[in-house]
Amino acid sequence: MLSTTFAAVLPDRLPWYFAGPALGLLVVGFFVIANQPLGATGAYVETYKTVTRAPGAVSWRMFYFLGIPIGGLVGVLLKEDGIVRRAGYDALRNELSLGTTAIIVLVGAVVMGYGARMAGGCTSGHGICGTAQRSPASWVATCTFMGAAVLTTLVIRVISGGAI
Amino acid sequence: MKSSTAHKVFGLLFGAGFGFVLAAANLHEYDTIHKMLRLEEFDVFLLMGGAIGTSLPLLWWLERRRTRTVLGGPLLLSRSKPRREHVIGGALFGIGWAVSGTCPAPALVMLVSGAGLAAVTIIGLFVGLNLRDAQVRRADGAATAADGEHRDITRVP
Repeated sequence: MLSTTFAAVLPDRLPWYFAGPALGLLVVGFFVIANQPLGATGAYVETYKTVTRAPGAVSWRMFYFLGIPIGGLVGVLLKEDGIVRRAGYDALRNELSLGTTAIIVLVGAVVMGYGARMAGGCTSGHGICGTAQRSPASWVATCTFMGAAVLTTLVIRVISGGAI
Repeated sequence: MKSSTAHKVFGLLFGAGFGFVLAAANLHEYDTIHKMLRLEEFDVFLLMGGAIGTSLPLLWWLERRRTRTVLGGPLLLSRSKPRREHVIGGALFGIGWAVSGTCPAPALVMLVSGAGLAAVTIIGLFVGLNLRDAQVRRADGAATAADGEHRDITRVP
């Protein structure tokens, strides 16, 4: 395995009691500065609109969109494992071929994207930014997707005989 | 809303901060999300609780103080009524999330961490988002109220 790391400064996994409040403070900070929530679904939508030069595109959201992998890369490089070139999706890859895994992941992602746009947000948008504003719509959407995801995982587990 | 340089700079910085925390907490790993949804580990639930538990009271307090934001005028929080799209869309999102094991923001970090299949996830997300947008356009409908996404604050009274 090819692995690239810069310095093993970060733990393998920053504990939730640091990471959770850190995300919360980023959300509050962006409201205080720009009066805007930090949903990722909207960032995808505005990035697509900006790239295709659609009317009414909010081009600065593309900078937010690009910031996520840049910051993520810094975080990954500061861990012991660093960048590890791999297919990903180990639990699926242990049971299925690469091609089958790719098809399943693609179908899942299309459903996820369609659902996120229909619901008006995803885990960051409704799940954190919306719930934090005490939005009833966001609380309903968040409880629904959490429940649906746990239930779907259970179904996958039963179908795969506990393997996935 | 026009995109000022300040919006671009702060957008980039906050995106980077967000991505950094996702990577630090290992949220870009399929295993982390999979174990959470299998109810084997509760860290991610606690992490989300910690994020909401920090931001909700702070935003409430700032709203009561009628805080003026730096770039966007008086602080404005959105609170929409739930509609059936929030439930149906939420359920579909949850199903897709469970299958592809990552949500929109962590998928971007997953890709730069070296996992090639994350590219498939990101392409699928763009396709799904556009399918819904095309459907709404055909029906001459309106996008679902999205309280956690970009909003045009110049249009709000």
